[in-house]
Amino acid sequence: MNASARTALKVLGAVYLAGVWLDGVGSNLPGKILPRTAEYFMQIAALFPRAEVASIDYRAQGWVCQDRRWEELDTRPYFPIDPDNKENRFERVLHFFHEHRGPSRGDGRARPEDVTLRALDAYLVGAHNDGKRDDGIPRDRMLGGTRFLSLRIPLPRPGDRLERVVRHPLEDYPEKQRAYWYHTPHAKIEAHCGYHAGEVELE
Amino acid sequence: MSAFDRLSTWIDEPQPVLRLALVRILAPLAILGFMSARLVHADEWIGDAGFRVPDLGGDWRQPIFIPALPSNVAWALAALMIVSGLACAAGWKTRGSGLVFAATLAFVAVSDRLAAFTVSKLSPFVMLAVALGPSGTRLGVDAWRKQRAGGKRPLKVEVAGSLRFLQLLLVTIYSASGIAKVHGDWLKEPLVLWTQLHDSYQTPFTFALASALPAWAWTLFQGLTLAFELGAPLWFVLPRTRVPALCFGLGMHAMIGLMFGPVVWFALLMMILLAATFLPDAGLAPLERLADRLEERRPAEAR
Repeated sequence: MNASARTALKVLGAVYLAGVWLDGVGSNLPGKILPRTAEYFMQIAALFPRAEVASIDYRAQGWVCQDRRWEELDTRPYFPIDPDNKENRFERVLHFFHEHRGPSRGDGRARPEDVTLRALDAYLVGAHNDGKRDDGIPRDRMLGGTRFLSLRIPLPRPGDRLERVVRHPLEDYPEKQRAYWYHTPHAKIEAHCGYHAGEVELE
Repeated sequence: MSAFDRLSTWIDEPQPVLRLALVRILAPLAILGFMSARLVHADEWIGDAGFRVPDLGGDWRQPIFIPALPSNVAWALAALMIVSGLACAAGWKTRGSGLVFAATLAFVAVSDRLAAFTVSKLSPFVMLAVALGPSGTRLGVDAWRKQRAGGKRPLKVEVAGSLRFLQLLLVTIYSASGIAKVHGDWLKEPLVLWTQLHDSYQTPFTFALASALPAWAWTLFQGLTLAFELGAPLWFVLPRTRVPALCFGLGMHAMIGLMFGPVVWFALLMMILLAATFLPDAGLAPLERLADRLEERRPAEAR
């Protein structure tokens, strides 16, 4: 490797390290001067800076047309990578796109959160109705839509009697621990299920 | 001599090649370990068989939109990642295989943000450093073939800017992480660590420790971690504190790996980088002797 190439590599290395450090300490300078993709690769420090206030778990329910009710839809068969922890891609979609809801766009375009959650909704309804995997809702039961929620499970205090963290069915969690973030528009559910407008109360 | 010249001299100081060779052998294995859960579902991960976040037109959560790959291309890319990673670890066509491995890692990191974590973003740069440095000149197929062809023993020390880059990278990550913690809750809330123990990352080891240790122990760990990270530039620069800092760092990452389920691969990668780049020469000596013995045998085998 010649001297010019070595110098260029030193400069690139220094820029990368400076970007990692600045991004980690909360500076917005890398975001201002670097392309977004370059900045993305520098977001590797600043791990676990805040205390958790609850254990968060994301879940989905499906509207079962024949039974006319919401039932828990196990998303893990459709998101098989790391199915049992918060690195699962379904959990990550909700993590990224429910928590950071920005203001409505003024240009008439749908918000990124809405675009993403609708796509997720369509993916899950389609995947269940294809009937290829077991997701907790019988395969012969058509889904008309989905709704997504988070569980905010209180943290124990030091000295409390602890229980291993395990995934319980949704029905085991009280309503006050649930926060609903999205559901398929009612008109769409009615159309999917062949209902008359206003025929059923979906909430 | 200007500060830049001094820094440049320090970067160009000859270093034991074995350190980079260790990173070359072990880091791809840890990275592939992290990727393994994704690789077995390549078509759902980066292919068109799974859910994809739509094109959000420049949203900050989507640094670049890359459409889903056809499933057969996704599987081919997964195979390329595995083969190039293993080839690099074996020291076979090290520069080329390292660069290909780094490129596949960079691609998957931007292709799917949902399954991308610190290892995803860090590993392309680690592998670039490996590929651009003299990491393939010892303990690998390239070294063996070169020695067989020429009969020369490989150099033990060489200019290795890559090694300096990896040392600085670790210190940079720790320092920034420590400052982020100060800006966050780590000085205000005595039980930040405790609050991280009760979600789906929890392992049986986490549960056992959380059940057994008093609250003050978690505050103590929190304080030690913060002191280590904030002071990292000092601890790793001063010769007297370097070995204790290395030991603390290895212990900290071992605990993280044992306590936070899937974070084990990140912990392993950091331990590999720490040990390979900061192990004192005396600690490296047994490995040097082992490498020497392996390299002595090779000409005989070749004959």
